[in-house]
Amino acid sequence: MKNVRWLRIQIKMKRNSSTKKEQQFWAYTFLFFPLMLLTIFLFIPILSSFIFSFFNWELMASDQKFVGLNNYIEIFGDKIFYKAMLNTVLYTIGVVPIQTILALFLAFVMNQKIRGRSFFRTAFYIPAVTSSVVTSIIFVAIYSKEGLLNTLLGNLGILPNDWLTNPRTALISIMMLNIWTTSGYFMVSFLAGLQNIPESLYEAARLEGATQAQQFWHITVPMVRPVTYFVIVMSLIGCFQVFDQVFVMSDGGPNNATTTLSYYVYQNGFKYFRLGYGAAAAIVLAGIIMTVTVIQKKYFPPNPY
Amino acid sequence: MSHNNRIPLFMVKSILKYVILAFSFALITSCIRDKKDTIRFSSWQSNPSEKRLTDSLLHYFSEKYPEYNVKFELIPGNYSEKIQLMLGTHSAPQVFYVKDFVAPSYLRYDVLQPLNEFIDQDTSFDIADFFPQFLKAYTRDGKIYGIPKDFGCFVLFYNEDMFKEAGLNEPPKDWAELETFSEKLTRDTNGDGKADQFGIVVEPSIDKLMPFVFQNMGSFQDQDGNLTLNTPEFQGAVEYYYGLYKKKIATIPSDVSMNNTEEVFGRKRAAMVISGGWFVPQLKDQYSDVNYRVAFLPEGKQMATIAFTVSYSSPKENPLKEETWKLLSYLTGKEGMKLWTSTGIAMPTRKSVAEQLDYVSHPEYKYFMGSVDFAKVFQVDYNERWYSITQSAMQAIFYEKADISQKIKQMENDIRSLKIKE
Repeated sequence: MKNVRWLRIQIKMKRNSSTKKEQQFWAYTFLFFPLMLLTIFLFIPILSSFIFSFFNWELMASDQKFVGLNNYIEIFGDKIFYKAMLNTVLYTIGVVPIQTILALFLAFVMNQKIRGRSFFRTAFYIPAVTSSVVTSIIFVAIYSKEGLLNTLLGNLGILPNDWLTNPRTALISIMMLNIWTTSGYFMVSFLAGLQNIPESLYEAARLEGATQAQQFWHITVPMVRPVTYFVIVMSLIGCFQVFDQVFVMSDGGPNNATTTLSYYVYQNGFKYFRLGYGAAAAIVLAGIIMTVTVIQKKYFPPNPY
Repeated sequence: MSHNNRIPLFMVKSILKYVILAFSFALITSCIRDKKDTIRFSSWQSNPSEKRLTDSLLHYFSEKYPEYNVKFELIPGNYSEKIQLMLGTHSAPQVFYVKDFVAPSYLRYDVLQPLNEFIDQDTSFDIADFFPQFLKAYTRDGKIYGIPKDFGCFVLFYNEDMFKEAGLNEPPKDWAELETFSEKLTRDTNGDGKADQFGIVVEPSIDKLMPFVFQNMGSFQDQDGNLTLNTPEFQGAVEYYYGLYKKKIATIPSDVSMNNTEEVFGRKRAAMVISGGWFVPQLKDQYSDVNYRVAFLPEGKQMATIAFTVSYSSPKENPLKEETWKLLSYLTGKEGMKLWTSTGIAMPTRKSVAEQLDYVSHPEYKYFMGSVDFAKVFQVDYNERWYSITQSAMQAIFYEKADISQKIKQMENDIRSLKIKE
């Protein structure tokens, strides 16, 4: 009698407390480490930046002066800030559409049964996983006055141009590098989306006599809309934060032609030793990105159906 | 009961969770700590020959003073940002390099240790032995915050072979000769109709412009720190300097797909370049087929050049002040400096060492030593952003053919607002 009761109690304990509580415990334990990392390296720095932005925070000074909104007021009066904003907007308007369309197109092509498909898929994806510093250095050589690009264009009769020191072409050069790099990355996302489109839709279209182009525009594009939304959001966020290429290739020049908002933050924070001002610029940048994302979610939602 | 003898599973899991927590705690707190009395010494990344010299200097110091423990920590990459970070977080090394260019910032923040009391107590140090302008770069209100370890200055390097081909036997003596010689030396060497060899290579940066400004009796700021950019002297220098490029007798590195002026000279695309002592070892190692000679910069309205120096400095927060001074005074003492400058990678800032090594008679070094009389250390008392503003202006003038006097006015207006408020 006692044994059966004891067994029943044990089973109850196991079911109620051990199973549920233990599951919860292990869940929190496994969450703890990544959460701790995120807190230390993400949440606390973001909060600190917000606090710093109200101070005249200079790292080597013995005390930090509270200046309220002065940093923000100064930012909105700085003509280089507006240049940086203009550069960032131009950059984004140029890169996001081209990148998205190119990535979708490449994915569509890669989804067909053509020879050497895996080779091409790898070839397009490799720039995305190569260090951005490495690709930037390579492209500095390609873009130079006597470099590869000018040599190729020269064969077509086009005069050589110093791509990175000409203020009119410097930003475009960096944009092209970025399109080349990240199209392959988003191609993979689109490939995954494409493979979720039921083949029956294409079959039905073919039976009706639809061409490849018609199939692309009327089946592929609408069905892949959630992925498009994801790609555009990630692309926008990435474009607003572009830094590596500017840092390696042009140092924000010539004459601030390639100074983007994130480079502006770095310049003021670390080169001019004004961390408070740089933090304020970073908060402004974050605000801009958040606003754009909210607008996009409202007017271009992922799934209107 | 048999199940009472086994340890229940949930107990094992409880112990395991404490083990995991303890392990992660140990992992987090296992920071490496140095021994308490190690003197940490940092410098930026330089070429291998400089590194070898540093190592041997520290080796001799350890032999002479075995009771002191010195640890050399090289800082690769962005040196000034790293040092700034370390000073701000109270973890700076005891001894580190400070470039003359950035010294005003460090002095402004008062993070360096004044060395006067150590200098006065140390009878063998002989502070009067130093050339005054290098010491002055690190002095404020009579307090010395760093000891200059060596110096370099801009001189003219020229390719003797190219000069002979053009029928020239002497380097240019003044601005007029610099122009006419550059014209003669600019030529099309491979018959494609375009000039491939240029008289001189310049670059759109304030550093290479300033010698011309000083030679034209101009300056960047006056005694009281007010800007003197919008002056005929400054503008005249910019017009002359840019004029060389405009007349196509000078080239810039990006036009020939290279990174700096030294490379253009080393790869024989220009017959002249303005550079400093640091170029000599590079010429010997990388461009040994260039038959180069050294000369004073051509004279403007007066002789002038820019001198560069680096100091050993120490942070104010330092528990090892006495030991730090021992290392500092050895590195910049007569023996240490002689060792450091004996290979000619830089010139001694001590008069006695220069005499001992007899650099005034050396066929190359005499131009560096001789320039000390008219060499100025270039420092600016405005927030670091001034440098970017001048770079933008110079780039606009060279790349966008912007109007010079308008750009100069704009430059002065922009920098003026960066005056450091005391």
